[in-house]
Amino acid sequence: MDLAYTKIMPQVIESKVTHEKVVLYQNGELVFEEGDSSRDLFIIQEGQVEIWKKTETTDIKLATFNRGDFFGDMALLQGGTRFASAKATGITKLLVIQPGGFLLKIRRDPTFAFEMLQTLSYRIKISNERLVDVIKKGNVPKETVDQILSLIGGQ
Amino acid sequence: MLTNVQSERMVIISDLHLGNPFSNTTHLALKFMKWAASQNYDIVINGDGLEMAQASKSKIMSEMPDVFRTIKELRKQRRTIYYVVGNHDISLENFLEDWGYFKVSPFLNISSGKTRIRVEHGHLYDPFYVKYPALYHKLTHLAGFFLFISPSFYKLWINFEKWRARLRAKRTGIFGEPPEFAEAAQEISKRGFDCVVFGHTHHAGEFKLEEDKRYLNPGSWLLSCHYVEINNGKVELKNWQP
Repeated sequence: MDLAYTKIMPQVIESKVTHEKVVLYQNGELVFEEGDSSRDLFIIQEGQVEIWKKTETTDIKLATFNRGDFFGDMALLQGGTRFASAKATGITKLLVIQPGGFLLKIRRDPTFAFEMLQTLSYRIKISNERLVDVIKKGNVPKETVDQILSLIGGQ
Repeated sequence: MLTNVQSERMVIISDLHLGNPFSNTTHLALKFMKWAASQNYDIVINGDGLEMAQASKSKIMSEMPDVFRTIKELRKQRRTIYYVVGNHDISLENFLEDWGYFKVSPFLNISSGKTRIRVEHGHLYDPFYVKYPALYHKLTHLAGFFLFISPSFYKLWINFEKWRARLRAKRTGIFGEPPEFAEAAQEISKRGFDCVVFGHTHHAGEFKLEEDKRYLNPGSWLLSCHYVEINNGKVELKNWQP
């Protein structure tokens, strides 16, 4: 998968308040790139977004998100740079919530917080299950397992 | 917890308040559910289906066996019955979940065809309920006392809300409701929903949101037999004629 920036400027189609806007992306357009310092949260109003992670040898598709799904939460909630890249598949309309508007969004739409927690909880469950599978196969050194488990256990 | 559902045929009813002294439509609600099941619709009870806050013990004793028998029958017919929790039945959430005949949820995100629909009771957007929950709770119980004296107090209240709506400077949303409900529906619709369905206010109606999105409310079966029908992505507010 070629993650090169497509040079198409995303089109802001609505921005009634300063902390929130609706942006239209063309097919293949990059929403953000791995290592970016942006912290916006995205909700898909229309279209689809793929999340890609670069490795030394190849690019790995981590997830595909559809209408109603959110992404970009890690940079917003944890800080730091983007862990992976996000790319539009087809014409995609995104609601972009800037960091300063996140709590206001939750205040105005409280079930969004519930849905975020539910999704994040699901992702942790899946990660834990995968980790257990890897440990069971015995491919990982004991020190690494202990280190990962202590990190998961509420650091 | 279940929140995402796929269904091509579904009906949504709200605020049955079974067990409320004002309720005299229990037999109609049960007849409607049997009809819906016979037409292969899944059923959503969008909050305040069973009355707890203003319950009349004699009503509950006389009506509940029929209610539970009907629900069991519908489940035997393999119809799915979703129960979205409202403010009058919050205390029943665990019971309803454990009973096993309902799929209980705080809200539902329904996909039907290419349409996405949010179904939620809506009490979270009631400005009075959110700002003064303890007072709201007390007044709800007090209103229950008036309903014991005469159920027509309820009709007076609904007429008062409509009269108050005429005086309101900001007239957004379904007639009789505070504007906060339509505003909340607008906010939720921005997350990729085509329609938002609330209950709670007891005012049946429909309101057009920005970008051709819609807010619907089937009102309460205490007052009329409205329901929202979802049929292969088409969403309509209808009045049931038994």
